[in-house]
Amino acid sequence: MPESTTVSMNPIPMDKSTEAAELVRVEHIRKFFPIQSGFFASLLIGGQIPAVKAVDDVSFIIHKGEVFGLAGESGSGKSTLGRLVLRLLEPTSGTVVFDGTDLESISPEEMRRMRSRMQIVFQDPLASLNPRMTLGEAIEHPAQIHMPKLSAAERRERVLEILSEVGMSPPTTFYSLYPHQISGGQRQRVVLARALVTHPAFIVADEPIAMADVSVRALLLDLMMNLKEKFDLTYLFITHDLATAKYVCDRIAIMYLGKLCEVGPLTDVYQTVLHPYTRALLEAVPVPDPTHRRTEPMPPGEIPNAINPPPGCHFHPRCPIARPNCSIDEPPLRELRPGHFTACHYAEDLLK
Amino acid sequence: MIDNILYSIRNLTVEYTTRAGSVKAVEDVSMDIRRGEILGLVGESGCGKSTLGKALMRLHTGPARITEGELWFDGRDLMTLPLKDMPDIRGAEIGMVFQDPMTSLNPVQRILEHITETIQTHEPEISDTDARKRAEELVERLGIRRERIMDYPHQMSGGMRQRVMISLALSLRAKLVIADEPTTSLDVIVEAKFLDLLKELQKEFGLTILLITHNIGVVAEISDRIAVMYAAKLAELGDVNDVFAHPKHPYTQALMRSVPNIKLDSGELYKMAGAPPDLSHPPAGCRFHPRCPYVMDICRVEVPPLEAVEGDQLAACWLYPSVLAKSQEKMHA
Amino acid sequence: MTATKDQLPKNAPEAVSWESELERVGFVRRIFLARRWYGADWWFVTIASVMVVAFIIVAIVPGWFAPYGPDAIVGPRFLAPGEHPAVPVLIVPADSKVNDLKDLAVPADQPRPSVAVVIGVPTGGALNEQAKAIDEQLRNEPGGLRLRPQIDRYATIDQALQAVVDGTDLAAVIQSTEWEKQGLAQKFPTLREANTITGEISTAGGFLLGTNDIGQDVLSRLLWGTRIALIVGFSSSIVALVFGVPLGLFAGFIGGPMDRLLSLIMDSLYAFPGLILAISITAVLGPSILNIIVAIAVLYVPTYYRIVRGQTLSVKEEVYVEAARSIGARSREILQRYIFPNVIPSVAIIFSVNVADAILTGAGLSFLGLGLPPTIADWGIDVARGQRFIQTGWWMITYPGLAIIAVVLAFSMMGEGLTEIFNPKLRER
Repeated sequence: MPESTTVSMNPIPMDKSTEAAELVRVEHIRKFFPIQSGFFASLLIGGQIPAVKAVDDVSFIIHKGEVFGLAGESGSGKSTLGRLVLRLLEPTSGTVVFDGTDLESISPEEMRRMRSRMQIVFQDPLASLNPRMTLGEAIEHPAQIHMPKLSAAERRERVLEILSEVGMSPPTTFYSLYPHQISGGQRQRVVLARALVTHPAFIVADEPIAMADVSVRALLLDLMMNLKEKFDLTYLFITHDLATAKYVCDRIAIMYLGKLCEVGPLTDVYQTVLHPYTRALLEAVPVPDPTHRRTEPMPPGEIPNAINPPPGCHFHPRCPIARPNCSIDEPPLRELRPGHFTACHYAEDLLK
Repeated sequence: MIDNILYSIRNLTVEYTTRAGSVKAVEDVSMDIRRGEILGLVGESGCGKSTLGKALMRLHTGPARITEGELWFDGRDLMTLPLKDMPDIRGAEIGMVFQDPMTSLNPVQRILEHITETIQTHEPEISDTDARKRAEELVERLGIRRERIMDYPHQMSGGMRQRVMISLALSLRAKLVIADEPTTSLDVIVEAKFLDLLKELQKEFGLTILLITHNIGVVAEISDRIAVMYAAKLAELGDVNDVFAHPKHPYTQALMRSVPNIKLDSGELYKMAGAPPDLSHPPAGCRFHPRCPYVMDICRVEVPPLEAVEGDQLAACWLYPSVLAKSQEKMHA
Repeated sequence: MTATKDQLPKNAPEAVSWESELERVGFVRRIFLARRWYGADWWFVTIASVMVVAFIIVAIVPGWFAPYGPDAIVGPRFLAPGEHPAVPVLIVPADSKVNDLKDLAVPADQPRPSVAVVIGVPTGGALNEQAKAIDEQLRNEPGGLRLRPQIDRYATIDQALQAVVDGTDLAAVIQSTEWEKQGLAQKFPTLREANTITGEISTAGGFLLGTNDIGQDVLSRLLWGTRIALIVGFSSSIVALVFGVPLGLFAGFIGGPMDRLLSLIMDSLYAFPGLILAISITAVLGPSILNIIVAIAVLYVPTYYRIVRGQTLSVKEEVYVEAARSIGARSREILQRYIFPNVIPSVAIIFSVNVADAILTGAGLSFLGLGLPPTIADWGIDVARGQRFIQTGWWMITYPGLAIIAVVLAFSMMGEGLTEIFNPKLRER
């Protein structure tokens, strides 16, 4: 059972400057993965089963038409959060509201139908394509499920159309190929095509270019942005690479050990850093310019495990500006500047 | 023999024999690694950089073979040594750090045993206590707490495992460390600290490092010189500042512009056309010519040699008169 | 051993080019091209496949290949392979007009013809019998001929034949095999071999694999036995598959208490020593081909169950299954289009080895006398029968035994070879 923590009463990070409607609203989402322990061991612990606190009380709002970045290192919980938003995982507590509908309140059948509007692009395109299905079949499958009124021929047309949209020409050739017969970059395009075939409004992209070759990444990013414009998409862009995030994200959220450290418009976050962890992250990114070598030291230590995170602010053992109360009081996510939220007691120090 | 060159690679060719025929993963590569430098070797996947790294220790087995070339390490051509003598050199003089430390460390051996075994294999006269002492000192120098030396690999994080790998290389005071994508599986902060460590080791021990990676940001952070590989051949080689400031080879130019730079306020990422060639049927002439915006007739036919283009900076491209001149000189020689 | 694709590190530059080459050509060419790719395994699979196809053809139409029916008693007992059956044959002077025994008949008042035989050989008895039979016939015919030969007994063949040469006897009756074996034709150039006295055609060359204890042709029984072996092997494997695969899929996909229950049942079955379980079931059900098939099928259901369940469990965790859920596919669709096709290749491979095993078990059951009525030609039964006659008729047990080995080997080799060939694809990542 999750241990009780006080739910923060603070406003949910959103972009007040925009007129665009709310598309995704995540409130106090938690996901704890219980660790299997022996029967007797659990008695000893006093009935509390230890759990990996992958996502611990995260809230934010994604507006229609934006690219919302979610960045963090391994163990931050960003991939888990991506899946929670799409309800591919059931949250331990908390709500996800998509376009006004609380995803918990609807039946499984309705949820299934909802999926035509919210899709995911996985990190490893080869793993996310069924090796026994042709590319055409793979892309057609969502259409079969969600667009039953289309005839077989119309569906095929649609698939060919989408293949062209993602740059796979001539589409008829690719239709009957298998995933292992095309390159990595092409596979990711196919995965994008599959996500787009049902005209979704929202796409979660989980490290979509991490496995592509360097020279192909720019092409894929370009494609994703063009598609966004063309089809009026909204992205949740999950990444560990802050340099890439800079090129595509409108707003960005930084995660550490299951909690949000900082959320805000990208330029604000990058230029006016309001959290020591974000600052370390930004400094750590290797810069392809030998005249700008990093001089800042990195925080000591490594990411602790998510089963027993440090008390108070999870980052305090490694934080250069930590004070005594950081190990006791958990910092709430507060709006320090307009639209720019931080979970640090002493973020003001960073403003100086 | 020029003393400041630790490893001189001459005309190295490594071939893989596959069912589809033989493929040259590395073709006619010549370069020098200078003592005490960090040389960054960059290229995309499949360009041959990892193959080159392994070839420097003659690690290839099975379908891969060095079919041509000389490997002048510290005054000796390693290719003239019988293969059975190579284990004496590996570890003791040339160390290697691999991408995934989890699979290169023995899961049933403690870290201490890893290091002491390495030491005692090469220096059998050392006593157990002495070997242990050396191991502990080393591990501490690399930023791992002494007590953790009794851990098993799975009890350590990725970053720490990589440090253990380096310690194995250093335990025998190797002259050269070949690091093959050492930070690709690491988080960005851990990566930054690891790169710091490499720089410290270079300063303190005079360690020479060949850093193989596809991430040119990493190379820019710590390398002294950079070598760019494309399709089994060297495209460019030079001082890191020179190459980044004015890249000569069109591939290098494209690469620089297609990588996101977090320090830049704006700008678009350059999109390279085409894809790396299939090495079983490489294009004739310059391997990059099908994708090159400056392609000329000669590029389609002749392979450009790697020649000095500006000062110490070498490029293999027909655009540069010095390359043209040098090759004509060689023809008439 | 030629290089395999999976030995190359991930950075190896040839990528997937050889595979795309393979896919661009037609099926037949692909088989030949594959020889280069797969080396020794290709030979394994090809030779084994040819053998399997041969066995299947023989099983379907054994009549085309077998000289006799499965039950026919066609010759003397215990005839060794290639041995000519010893038939009593007439030896006459080269210029004699006598060819058959009947030709020796004379009118009742004429002196009786004298025929030479050798003591201690059954030819004397055969001659007597045949003469009596022919005599009976002749009595009922007009012409007044009678056949009542005067039988002169000699100690050795040479003496008997010498008597014919000397004219003491009109003819001699000896075993057909002796005429050739002892080179008698050369010894007695004035004599020739006439017909057999029984009217039987001495089967030239005998029986290829000999005859068994009741005079059946071993070769024919062998060929006819293929049918039973393959029927039992294939049927029981298919039945086991039909039950084992869906149960495995179901248990692997659903998990939970159903899975535990099924696994418990399957593991219990699996724990039984195979042959003993089969024996018990056959003993309960009674002897018939159907019951053997059922017994063996029950034996192998756990095999398919375990493999399919294991594969399902691992495929279930694959990203493309998660992707299928993310596009809104129902569980049934996921099982059908995403899990099943990725699990089936492993089944196809073990099917072949399974058939081999089933054939072996089937032979074992009939060897023990369970399951098949003894009139059906079956290798197991033949092996059981041949046990008692190892010294007098080693061929009775050897050839059925070799046949079992050959079939089992063929199917196993094919299965093993296919595993090697298909695995690279499964292991590709």
